[in-house]
Amino acid sequence: MTVPLISAKNIKKYFDVGEGKLKAVDGLTFDIYPGETFGLVGESGCGKSTAGRTIIRLYDPTDGELIFNGRNIYDLSINEMREVRKNFQMIFQDPYASLNPRMTVEDIVAEPLDIHKSYTNKEERRERVIELLKLVGLNEEHSMRFPHEFSGGQRQRIGIARALALNPKFIVCDEPISALDVSIQAQVVNLLKELQIKFGLTYLFIAHDLSMVRYISDRVGVMYLGHMMELSHSEELYKNPLHPYTKALLSAIPIPDPDIQRNRKRIMLHGDVPSPINIKEGCRFVDRCTHALDICRKQTPKFEERIKGHFVACHNL
Amino acid sequence: MKTLLEVKNLSVSFKTFFGEVEAVRNISFDVGSSETVAIVGESGCGKSVTANSIMQLLPMPPAFFKNGQIIFNGKNLLDKSDKEMEVVRGNEISMIFQDPMTSLNPTMKIGKQIVEGLIRHQRLSKSEAKKKAVEMLNLVAVPEPEKRVNQYPHEFSGGMRQRVMIALAMVSTPRLLIADEPTTALDVTVQAQILELMKEIQNKLEMAIILITHDLGVVADMSDKVIVMYAGQILEEGLTDEIFKAPCHPYTIKLLASVPSLNMSRNEPLHSIDGTPPDLYIPPKGCSFYDRCENAMKICKDYMPEFHSRSATHRSRCWLNHPMAKDSERGES
Repeated sequence: MTVPLISAKNIKKYFDVGEGKLKAVDGLTFDIYPGETFGLVGESGCGKSTAGRTIIRLYDPTDGELIFNGRNIYDLSINEMREVRKNFQMIFQDPYASLNPRMTVEDIVAEPLDIHKSYTNKEERRERVIELLKLVGLNEEHSMRFPHEFSGGQRQRIGIARALALNPKFIVCDEPISALDVSIQAQVVNLLKELQIKFGLTYLFIAHDLSMVRYISDRVGVMYLGHMMELSHSEELYKNPLHPYTKALLSAIPIPDPDIQRNRKRIMLHGDVPSPINIKEGCRFVDRCTHALDICRKQTPKFEERIKGHFVACHNL
Repeated sequence: MKTLLEVKNLSVSFKTFFGEVEAVRNISFDVGSSETVAIVGESGCGKSVTANSIMQLLPMPPAFFKNGQIIFNGKNLLDKSDKEMEVVRGNEISMIFQDPMTSLNPTMKIGKQIVEGLIRHQRLSKSEAKKKAVEMLNLVAVPEPEKRVNQYPHEFSGGMRQRVMIALAMVSTPRLLIADEPTTALDVTVQAQILELMKEIQNKLEMAIILITHDLGVVADMSDKVIVMYAGQILEEGLTDEIFKAPCHPYTIKLLASVPSLNMSRNEPLHSIDGTPPDLYIPPKGCSFYDRCENAMKICKDYMPEFHSRSATHRSRCWLNHPMAKDSERGES
């Protein structure tokens, strides 16, 4: 058994809002192994982005542990954390908002190098930037330009170059392709896969596009209102979903094939995701679940391994 | 089926400081009276400009119609005055937009926003209109409509707001509904609800839908006919089955291949389309897909092909589909 690169143990992140506590992430426990892509899916407001940010301690966690290299990074001081942080990077959703419009591409990509002072002179800095740009399919002449001169796909490439600057081990990709057109999405996904093989990267891939997540991830976790509902290898999860929410979610993906689309039976969920503020005890999905039992309202189901490598939190199995 | 809408040789441009942007270039298509036609394409391909041209919602200037006709129910909409267009918009053609968060007025109660249209276009009294508003919310399955009419948009979730938008569009029982990316901002489970609702209402009220989207899954689910646009032009058009099962144009083929299907192996790379669409300030002289096409030939650079029909309903604009092209040149198509 390989040792996990990252081990999340019961991590929680609550936000104080006027009306009470917003439990964005409420007790997530899972491992991510070196070299794998872990997909995190769920609808808006389910806490997937908060989870991604809490894991690399961009948000200070409310509770829980995150073990990286044998140490709980939540216990580290700011200075120790800065050292560890070189290993973690992030690629953001919106390539228009995540690049400073007043900086040149060279300065954007070199910013992590500046912060961690990882060069001795200007030439070294420039060489590294050009090397990074070439890695992501851009070239030297792009380095003196500004973000507005690039298309969405190219901007996302700049964001990826920046994330690679410090040779990280673990990259949180927070919806990196949602803002792009399909033909460009494929370019970026292929690039991410290529880089993963080249540098042995580990990804946490957060997305709501379920077919893309299946394609890119080794294992997939399904979140709903701050809880992990189901976690499994991606093939297994898509072929044999156990949780009623996962089933409904999968059946709602529109498939680009008119024959399949005409003959499939959808599991239609009613209503919307309820508010995560001051949420009650019990299964988070109970109000929209068609199989809800009495116990589902009283007790939060445990997140257990039902089949080898396939975890699920549901009373009704 | 009767033809409800006929777009003929439509060209729309925008005048800007840097020159003229030819957003829509000489497109023609028609929509039957209870047909759902999907217009697909990437951002900037002109699909929304086409929709807004039919509704005449484009700001003029900078936009202007260069050429063409939009014939709705036998009359050319481009000949109508603003006043006449207002009647068409309120009664015969309705539109729903992508973003349900910004297309409702945040300072007005939901009921009042629905009533506004009813009083203006159907000349109902206030109390009649209010009753009708509750009915409309009921039609789009908003729970507790009597209570909901007195609430403001911020008290509604995204899916519920899109339902309200559909209710607003339906008050006049339009003949044509234009839906511009109606579910792009919504989650998949809510998207499924909204698409189902649109189908239901279409069956009940017999209307045509023009669905603008970039999601090929939604297209396969909803449409009878598909129009593929690229750089302001129509490259291929056909029945949904024809487009998905026997696409002719290299762009359509590539577009379909760039979406991961649920049964493809994780080891095969996705088919991406290299490069980006052309700049419409200086539209290319030849085929607009030339730069990104793997099957491009010499002729493609200089001459845009005319449409070649594969069947009565299926046509595409590619030299490879020209009757005189050799089979060996057709490549993977």
